[in-house]
Amino acid sequence: MEAAPDIHILRLLAGFGLLLIPVGLSLLVRLGIIGQLMISVGRMTGQLFLMSIVLIYLFRWDNPLINIAWVIVMIFFACLSAMVNSKLSFRSFFVPVFLAYFVGAGFVLLFFNKIIVNHENIFTARLLVVIGGMLLGNSLNSAIIGISHYYESIRKDNKRYLYLLSLGATQNEALLPFFRDAMLAALKPFMANMATMGLVSLPGMMTGQILGGAAPETAIKYQIAILLAIFTAVTISVSLSIYFTSRRAFNAYGVLKKDFFKS
Amino acid sequence: MLTILYQSVFLQKTVLKITAEFYRMIELQNISLQLNDRKLFDKLSVEVPAGGRLLILGGSGSGKTTLLRMLLGFVLPDSGKILIDGEELTLENVWSLRQKMAYVSQEMQIGRGKAETFIKEVFKFRNNRKISYDRSKVLSLLEDFQLNSGTLDKDLEEISGGELQRFAIIVTLLLDRKIYLMDEATSALDEPLKKLIVSYFDNMDNKTLIISSHDNVWHKQNYSILNLEEHGSST
Repeated sequence: MEAAPDIHILRLLAGFGLLLIPVGLSLLVRLGIIGQLMISVGRMTGQLFLMSIVLIYLFRWDNPLINIAWVIVMIFFACLSAMVNSKLSFRSFFVPVFLAYFVGAGFVLLFFNKIIVNHENIFTARLLVVIGGMLLGNSLNSAIIGISHYYESIRKDNKRYLYLLSLGATQNEALLPFFRDAMLAALKPFMANMATMGLVSLPGMMTGQILGGAAPETAIKYQIAILLAIFTAVTISVSLSIYFTSRRAFNAYGVLKKDFFKS
Repeated sequence: MLTILYQSVFLQKTVLKITAEFYRMIELQNISLQLNDRKLFDKLSVEVPAGGRLLILGGSGSGKTTLLRMLLGFVLPDSGKILIDGEELTLENVWSLRQKMAYVSQEMQIGRGKAETFIKEVFKFRNNRKISYDRSKVLSLLEDFQLNSGTLDKDLEEISGGELQRFAIIVTLLLDRKIYLMDEATSALDEPLKKLIVSYFDNMDNKTLIISSHDNVWHKQNYSILNLEEHGSST
C-alpha cells in the first residue's frame, strides 16, 4: 500500500479556510471564542511544527540516549500540563507523579517495544518517541483524574474516612475504598471507550498508520496493543502516584494535610 | 447524677464538671483551640464519668463537631490535655484509643456496595478479627431500630438518609465500644425514631455517650449539658 501523499503548504492554508465557518458562527451568535480560538490554533500549529523539526532530528540521529532523554522531557511536560489543570498542590505532587509515570509508562513502553513489537532496537526513535508520545498523551489525563479523585474524595467524604477509622480500620484499610473509587474513576471511561472502539470512532494511531501506508491488519494489531498498553500504564501510574504521595499526605494521626491542595 | 456547673466570669472560659465518685472516662483539661483565626475553645475543661451522658449544644460553627473529632484525635488542640479511659491521648496511643470509641455523624456516606458486605468488611479489619460476625445479632439490631432484614441486601448508596444513619449506628453497636460519639446522628430521623434511638442508648448505662444534637429528644434529666454558644454552661 502506498503512503499518503504530502499536503502542499498552500493547500494546508486552505485547510485554515475551514475556520471561517466557526468564526462566522461565533460572530453571528456572539460565542466570544475568536480570540481564544486564534491562540489555540496558533499554539497547535507552532507546537506541531516544532515537533516535526524535533522528530526529523531525532530520526536522523536516532541515538538511544537522546531518545530516552526526549521521553523524559515528554513525561515532564505531560505532568506539568496535567498538574496545572488539577486541584492538587504542585509542590507536593509533581515529583511523585513524575516518578510514578516514569516507572509506569517506562515499563509499559519497554514491554511494548521488546515483547509485543519485538524490535531489535527498542530505543529507536520510531518506537520509543512515537509510542511513548501515544502512551503519555492518552494516559496522563486518566491518571490525573484518578489521583485527584482519590484526594478530593477523602477531603470531601471526610466523614466516611473518619467513620471507617473509628470502626477500627487501620489507615490503609480506611483508605482502600477511596483507592477503589479512584481506580474506577480513572479506568471506567477508558473501558467504555475500548468497548465502542471501531464502531463510533476510528482510533488515531490506526488511522495514521493506514494513511502512512501500513496494511489495515498491521494497523489494528498496533492499535489493540497500544490500547492495552495505555490501560496498563494508567493502572500502574495511578497506583504508584497514590502510593508515593500517601505517606506524606497524612499526618501521624491519620489526618489528610491541607497543604496537599492548591490554596 | 450530681452535677455542678461552674461558669467562669471570663467569657470564653468554660469549666464544666460532672463531679461524682465515678471513674472518669473522658477528660478535657484546659483545651484551647483556634481555627481559621477564630478562638473556638479557651481553656475548656470537661469531665465525663464512665456511663455518663453529655449533650453538646451550640449553633453551627460553634465547635461541636470539632470537639468530637478532637476526642478521636482527628483535630489536635493548641494546648491542653485529652484523657480517654485514663490515658492521655498521644501519637503513640491514638490508634488504640480510637478502638474504644464509636463515631457516628450526620449525612454520612459510609461506602458502596451491599450493606451486609460492608459489615463483613468491617469485621475483616485487622483490629476487629477477634470479634466474629454474628448475623443473628445484626438481624436483631435491625429489628430494634425498625429496619427490615432486606436492608442487608440493599446497596448503601440507595438506602435513604434515615435508614443509613440507623445502619451506621448498628455497625458501631456490633463492635461494642465503650464510648459513643454522636454528631447530629439522629438528625435525619422522624420523631418516633429519634425517641427509639434515645431510649435504646438509655438502656445501655455502661456506655459513655457524648452527643451533639439540635434534637429536643436528647434533652433529658440525666444528661449534662455543655453549651458552646454561650461559652458557658447551663442545665
